[in-house]
Amino acid sequence: MTGFLVKRFLQALVVLFLVSIIVFVLLHMLPGGPARAILGPKGTPQQIDQFNHQQGYDRSLPTQYFMYLKRLFTGDLGDSYKLNSPVFELLKQRLPKTLLLTVLSTALAVVIAVPLGLLQAVRRGKASDYALTGLAFLLYATPVFFLGLIMIILFAQVFPVFPAEAPQGESIGELLGDFTGLVLPVVTMAFGIVAMFSRYMRSAVLDNLTEEYVRTAMAKGQSSRRILVRHVLRNALIPLATLLGLYLPTLFSGALVVESMFNYPGMGLLFWNAAQGSDFPVLLGVTLVVGIATVLGSLLTDILYAVLDPRIRSVA
Amino acid sequence: MTELQLTDAGPGTPAPLLSIDDLHVDIASRDRTVHALDGVSLDLVPGEALGIVGESGCGKTMTALSVLGLLPPGGTVTGGRILFDGQDLAAASAPTLQDVRGNTVGMVFQDPLTSLNPTMTIGAQVAEPLLLHRAGIGRKEAWARAEEMLRLVGMPQPAERMKNYPHQLSGGMRQRVAIAMALVCEPKLLIADEPTTALDVTTQHQILELIDNLRQTLGMAMILVTHDLGVIANRVDRVAVMYAGKVAEQSDVRGLFARPRHRYTEALFAALPERAADRGTELHTIPGLPPSLTVRPTGCRFAPRCSFATQECREREPELELSVEPSVEPEWGLVGAAPAAAGQDAEAAKASPPSGHRFACFHPVPYGDAPAEQVVTPPPATATEPGEVLLELDALVKEFPLSGGPFARRRGTVSAVGGVSLSVRRGETYGMVGESGCGKTTLGRIVAGLEEPTAGTVRFDGRDLSGLSRAERRAHRRRIQLMFQDSTAAMDPRMRVGEILREPLVIQGVGSRAERERLTAELLDAVGLPRGAVHRYPHEFSGGQRQRLGLARALTLAPDLVVADEPVSALDVSVQAQILNLMRELQRERGLTYLFISHDLAVIRHLADTVGVMYLGRLVESGPAEQVYAHPLHPYTRGLLDTVNVPDPAAASGGEREPLRGETPSAAQPPSGCRFRTRCPFAAEVCATTEPPVSTPNAAGHQVACHFPLAAPRLASAV
Amino acid sequence: MTTTTAPHTVPGHEEAAQATPSLARRTLQVFTGNKLALTGVVLLVLLLAFSYLGPLLYDTEQTHTDLSQANLSPGTDGHLLGTTDLGYDMVGRLMVAGRTSLEIGLAAGLLATLFGTVYGAVSGYFGGWVDAAMMRITDAALAIPAMFLLVVVAAIITPSKGVLILIIAAVAWLSPARLVRGEALSLRNREYVQAMRMMGGGGARAVFKHIVPNAIGTVIVNCTFQIADAILYVSYLAFLGLSIPPPSADWGSMLSAGITYTQNGYWWLIFPPGIAIVLVVAAFNFIGDGLRDAFEVRLRK
Repeated sequence: MTGFLVKRFLQALVVLFLVSIIVFVLLHMLPGGPARAILGPKGTPQQIDQFNHQQGYDRSLPTQYFMYLKRLFTGDLGDSYKLNSPVFELLKQRLPKTLLLTVLSTALAVVIAVPLGLLQAVRRGKASDYALTGLAFLLYATPVFFLGLIMIILFAQVFPVFPAEAPQGESIGELLGDFTGLVLPVVTMAFGIVAMFSRYMRSAVLDNLTEEYVRTAMAKGQSSRRILVRHVLRNALIPLATLLGLYLPTLFSGALVVESMFNYPGMGLLFWNAAQGSDFPVLLGVTLVVGIATVLGSLLTDILYAVLDPRIRSVA
Repeated sequence: MTELQLTDAGPGTPAPLLSIDDLHVDIASRDRTVHALDGVSLDLVPGEALGIVGESGCGKTMTALSVLGLLPPGGTVTGGRILFDGQDLAAASAPTLQDVRGNTVGMVFQDPLTSLNPTMTIGAQVAEPLLLHRAGIGRKEAWARAEEMLRLVGMPQPAERMKNYPHQLSGGMRQRVAIAMALVCEPKLLIADEPTTALDVTTQHQILELIDNLRQTLGMAMILVTHDLGVIANRVDRVAVMYAGKVAEQSDVRGLFARPRHRYTEALFAALPERAADRGTELHTIPGLPPSLTVRPTGCRFAPRCSFATQECREREPELELSVEPSVEPEWGLVGAAPAAAGQDAEAAKASPPSGHRFACFHPVPYGDAPAEQVVTPPPATATEPGEVLLELDALVKEFPLSGGPFARRRGTVSAVGGVSLSVRRGETYGMVGESGCGKTTLGRIVAGLEEPTAGTVRFDGRDLSGLSRAERRAHRRRIQLMFQDSTAAMDPRMRVGEILREPLVIQGVGSRAERERLTAELLDAVGLPRGAVHRYPHEFSGGQRQRLGLARALTLAPDLVVADEPVSALDVSVQAQILNLMRELQRERGLTYLFISHDLAVIRHLADTVGVMYLGRLVESGPAEQVYAHPLHPYTRGLLDTVNVPDPAAASGGEREPLRGETPSAAQPPSGCRFRTRCPFAAEVCATTEPPVSTPNAAGHQVACHFPLAAPRLASAV
Repeated sequence: MTTTTAPHTVPGHEEAAQATPSLARRTLQVFTGNKLALTGVVLLVLLLAFSYLGPLLYDTEQTHTDLSQANLSPGTDGHLLGTTDLGYDMVGRLMVAGRTSLEIGLAAGLLATLFGTVYGAVSGYFGGWVDAAMMRITDAALAIPAMFLLVVVAAIITPSKGVLILIIAAVAWLSPARLVRGEALSLRNREYVQAMRMMGGGGARAVFKHIVPNAIGTVIVNCTFQIADAILYVSYLAFLGLSIPPPSADWGSMLSAGITYTQNGYWWLIFPPGIAIVLVVAAFNFIGDGLRDAFEVRLRK
């Protein structure tokens, strides 16, 4: 397994390096370049020239990239010119909240999708399978903000059970304290994922059911239910770890929409507000951090997969 | 048309343990229904071993699977009963079936890799049946019993293996685990469905021995399902031959092999390469293919392929009838089996129930006739006139890196071919034989130009291939062609046959379009396929037909040498005979040279002029086929010959045989010195330190790489 | 096994040499047997007809706003689905917006598929270091969630139809690239490609005669999913306020304009465009799923 992990780790490093290059390129694509991004629209041409010279933005691109990296390592992502605060500080507050939302809704999605996919696979070709498959497609085809809108209309307006706005606490504890406020954002985001995961579960279970080890298990005298739970489920769930890693970017994209929709104080909302106000340091800072989080997250899920699957775990 | 009389056991016979009565099974798929079983009746007394044999699609596996209600999706029992211990399993509820499965009836499947759960430990899987069926047994006790069972099936270090996962074991060891799983509840009946088909000859032998021993120890009955007549001849008391969803013939094993009555059984035996009188003769073939079973055929199902068929056969369906013979034992004496066999025959007759020898044929093989050809040892035939050397390999080495990927460090290499030198003469068939992983396929791929050798040279027609320029190499391609084992995979599924056959000509820029079409038509004629085949896709053909196409494509460029890598090992015996005959015929007509690679000693013996034996990347022995088979010089060759299952129960019991023991070591760490020493009964210190030199102790041309070549010419092996 | 011919046919005594139906025709047969896929096709045809032929039958004013007619409820003054907050007729607006959504989705999906296929095929066919380098680039681009990248780019450049197509394609090509690369890697090692090499055939023939035709099924299937995703992306960008500025519209921007009036109960501003998006995206997914089945069945025996 160590060989696999070392290889995977080195890959992640290369990808991280490339992610930083992409963000660096985006920075230089800005109208007026980094100076405009940092000084904001109020900066005069003189100020910009002076800034460029001070910061070394008139030097060669590789040198500039090297300086950019050096700043990154010290946690310097620039300052928001809308919020008057270092981007790094903003991210430190917001990232955990986004992770909370992502983790809660993913967990909910898995809890719904796994039995759903199992049910579809067992009922394959029956009316209930067709109905659920059609429903999963419809759910997948529904933009998250439309889904959220339906949720708000249904559960905050027609039947006012849950608030339409997320809790605005400063810490995770405060957010969790106001649990009813979390319901709609978490459920909305989870629904978007359920469609993908139940689809995966259905086909993974179907694939596993045709495997010969299932016939062996039957030949031992196990009941169908026990075979599903003890043999098939385990084998179908292990690759789900990798799937989670692959869907991390999609999850973060979903979080961006859901946070803007429910005014949830995470990174997505920060990003959205920055987009509205052309707050480029924040936009690029968030992009970089989300990229890093994705790379590390998928590295983590791959390690998880390697630990769960004995075929990888035990290869010396 | 019930065959109830079969279940009427006479007085004094034990009541049958399992009684399958007029079983009908349908398999429904998306667009059609196959009548897989159509009135199958079989009996099995406690402790008896019944073999079910037949070609693919005959229903042998469906019969086995239906006993435990394990039919594939879409499969249903549409009629008949399966009485086991007085219970009708065909009509049993799910809980009743679950109670029988793994408890009183154990089952072993073909592929030991896929039939084990990859993410569960061996221990958990072997202990599982105990936890399911033995009420009150604790986890601890179940594990202790499972470990005991692993010891019983010959698993080394069972306590450690309990914690392992299936992928950490070799194929043979995995099949031992599967057997342990099936037997851990000590069932009364073991159903083994092709249990050794996925394994090498030596492992196959070990597993069959193990099953035999366990059957004696535990006193259980067995149903052994196999396509392999060699396996069936040596391991069961009674045999049922199935054809197209019906039992064609059943008898005690010796009676069947000595005197088959059904014309299908007769033809099947005759198609075996072992039965061919000598290398020069053609094999008997069965024309055509079995019926598709989507519609119930009228009349005898074998009639369309039978040379004895009459109008009656095509109109009326024959039923299983008792073979009328006054006395059974004297007949066997006449057959000329080994003298010692008579006593064993009597024993065999005692053990089997008095269902006797039955067959369903209107025109059976008459009694007065000489029995089908016995396994004959060919006389040392005069070798074909040696032509000049066409292909010469010199100290050929091929190593593969163990771990790929740009960031992974290399963790050593696998030595696939470890220094092989040989020469093939124009017009001959060089048969390369060995077990899986011995490097024979890699060798073939190097010769065909699909792999570059790590070291050593390939000389073809006197020229060193590594010295060719790009253009020369391209032109050279057409002189050596490869025939694949699986023609399905070797043909682009999106191309029609015509385009597939023309492709080599297009690439090499041979001929105009009209000429290409004429050539393709000629080739189709030559391999016995209709010219209309050009408009069809490869998947529309049967396995045998696709091998014909594969051969046709290999011959399009009129090559000098054809490398054939296991070209018949995926085929049924009767189809295999057709392909082997065809290859021989085309060789004569076109002066082809074959490098024929196979694991099947009988096929190689039938076809090859010269034989090479490979073990773990080394050529251990080579020489004229007759000599190698009659007087093997290398202990490995001899062990291999002793291990093979001969499709003749009489031959199996005679002579002292020393089957190979142990498993082939990993090619990543081959043993020092002689690579066979770890399994060799004669290994000495020198074998570990020094690579054995090549010598010709017996006759010129018969080479061996061994420190202690076998001296005494021993009695010819029966293969 | 249904079309087994006798293997020992004597030359000259052959059976009727009939050409079997082409693979494309049989694929079509399986596809048309799939009810969900047919539903998708019907839906798509209806939506296309609605957007392009609809205005011929139901002509409305879609360039000049008329605030006196704003937010009329359905049925008022002959407005079937009422009017928007700017006084456009809702049904007519849906037709105009549908064109934008469908055009951007189709163009971006096709462009992404085209580029991704070439990229993936090159990477998979060459393998080794080229492949490793090219795949790390896609890994890095994939690591930045598509929405974030889209928003940043859309914030830098003022979106127009062409720009939207380009930036969505710039994000969407990654998935077909990885898919085709995987196909190419496995096809490269198929025995029929080896067999062709044995005959002396070269790389170009391997790619164009064997690899591309055999990967085409995967590409087509993926393309339908790409189009569906592109239409979703357009709507997300609109929701985030980054769509083509008025007077042009797409279903996403109509929906996000409607969100403002959630509290007022103007449901006709929200549900028609929302449902239109769901229907068109689902239609493409149904079609893709049906095609996948059809392509798989075809290669099965």
